[in-house]
Amino acid sequence: MSMIEFNNVEKYYGKFHALKNINLKIDKGETVVLIGPSGSGKSTLIRTINGLEEIQEGNLLVNGFDLHDPKTDINRIRKNVGMVFQHFNLYNNKSTLENVMLAPRLVLKRSEEENKATAMALLDKVGLADKAANMPSELSGGQKQRAAIARSLAMKPKALLFDEPTSALDPEMVGDVLDVMRDIAKDSSMTMLVVTHEMSFAKAVADRVIFMADGEILEDSTTEEFFNNPKEPRAQQFLSQVDHK
Amino acid sequence: MVTLGIFDAFTPQNVQYLLGGLGVTVGVSVISVILSFIAGSIIGIVQFERIPYFSTFVGTINNIIRNLPLLLIIFFVYFALPKLGIHLPIFWATVVAMSTFESSMLAEIVRGGLESIDKGQFEGARANGLTNIQTMVYIVLPQAYKKMIPPIISQLISLVKDTSLAMGIVLSEMTYRGQIVYAQNSTYIIPVLIAITLVYFLLNYGLSLIAKWFDRRLA
Ligand SMILES: Nc1ncnc2c1ncn2[C@@H]1O[C@H](COP(=O)(O)OP(=O)(O)OP(=O)(O)O)[C@@H](O)[C@H]1O
Ligand SMILES: [Mg+2]
Repeated sequence: MSMIEFNNVEKYYGKFHALKNINLKIDKGETVVLIGPSGSGKSTLIRTINGLEEIQEGNLLVNGFDLHDPKTDINRIRKNVGMVFQHFNLYNNKSTLENVMLAPRLVLKRSEEENKATAMALLDKVGLADKAANMPSELSGGQKQRAAIARSLAMKPKALLFDEPTSALDPEMVGDVLDVMRDIAKDSSMTMLVVTHEMSFAKAVADRVIFMADGEILEDSTTEEFFNNPKEPRAQQFLSQVDHK
Repeated sequence: MVTLGIFDAFTPQNVQYLLGGLGVTVGVSVISVILSFIAGSIIGIVQFERIPYFSTFVGTINNIIRNLPLLLIIFFVYFALPKLGIHLPIFWATVVAMSTFESSMLAEIVRGGLESIDKGQFEGARANGLTNIQTMVYIVLPQAYKKMIPPIISQLISLVKDTSLAMGIVLSEMTYRGQIVYAQNSTYIIPVLIAITLVYFLLNYGLSLIAKWFDRRLA
């Protein structure tokens, strides 16, 4: 069964047609990279998957539940689908450790002891064990993003969505964050959908690449096929503009 | 019998009488502060949440109240409500009027404070699995209140001062009683007014100290 499935999905912002007839299946455990020019609808697409944006037509199945069905409890889906944002969106009023522990405590009712042990293990995994007590304002961009990833992982999600996780970072911070993401992708049960301009990351980690333009999916190919032999002229043009050595 | 002693105004009876007025002022203020803080927060959140029709309705009422003179609201509650069958003792009439007016002022501060919180805080929390209410309680409101402390305190300070408007319905609060006292003897006017000024200053200075304490604790 696929983890995420779009069937003829249409999304409008008022009159503006932001997603046009989207059909897309992402299997459990797959790592998929979504690329395309600015304004093509990448953020919009990824944000429909956890209900941050509503769709108007079609159906969108996440872990078997239809997001377009009013009976679906959106909070149940969000429990299983984490999201990492370009601007981190850490809780500004909570320490790094509390950022990681809050949702498991409130949503999963995880015991305090287990919660703390899990959170500390995750902070250790992303290299932030020594920053547990610091507030987000005291972290660098790269540290914030790794804390945000730990926060998502603490929910033990089935899928993780990344919307340009390294775009707001200084170049020297990008590597650490990508390393953490690479590590997560190794877990064969984790489904990942990543919007990024880091072509080296896509080449190294993605099973598939989706190319979008003007709200449409123009190309959906294996990573190798996409980089060696892109079919769509717009994808070819896009690749020639971004650096992908 | 005319003396110019500055303390002559403060005979034991007069002091006791003025202190009684202070009690009324503090009583009205404290109860109104608590009620308007709670009601103002709820109204501010309702406006912020943009619930179809309901938020617009509440917002409109709130704007009307906020733009009325407080004295008019006091008159309305004390003189007009009885005609509609609602009789309130003068103390509670003042509390109701003050709370209504101050709630609408505080609601505006709360709404503004909520609007000033980055949308990313909501999205981070919602994507993390928190419900709307959990997001408000644990993430958004603590950050918003922290930003709102200075405007809320200055609003509460004007609330304390504005209790003197209840003289208009002859509520026996501090300023009113001061008037009664210096009506006895015109040489009392200056000392009594200075004493009252000092008391208002101390009350409000106390409030601003509490504000500073909160600000440091929440920082
Ligand atoms: N809340 C919104 N209201 C109206 N239009 C929107 C809204 N969000 C996005 N859009 C429009 O939808 C289109 C797709 O936006 P989206 O943010 O999904 O693009 P993107 O591919 O993520 O671009 P970028 O690479 O710049 O992040 C754009 O034309 C944008 O202006
Ligand atoms: Mg985007």
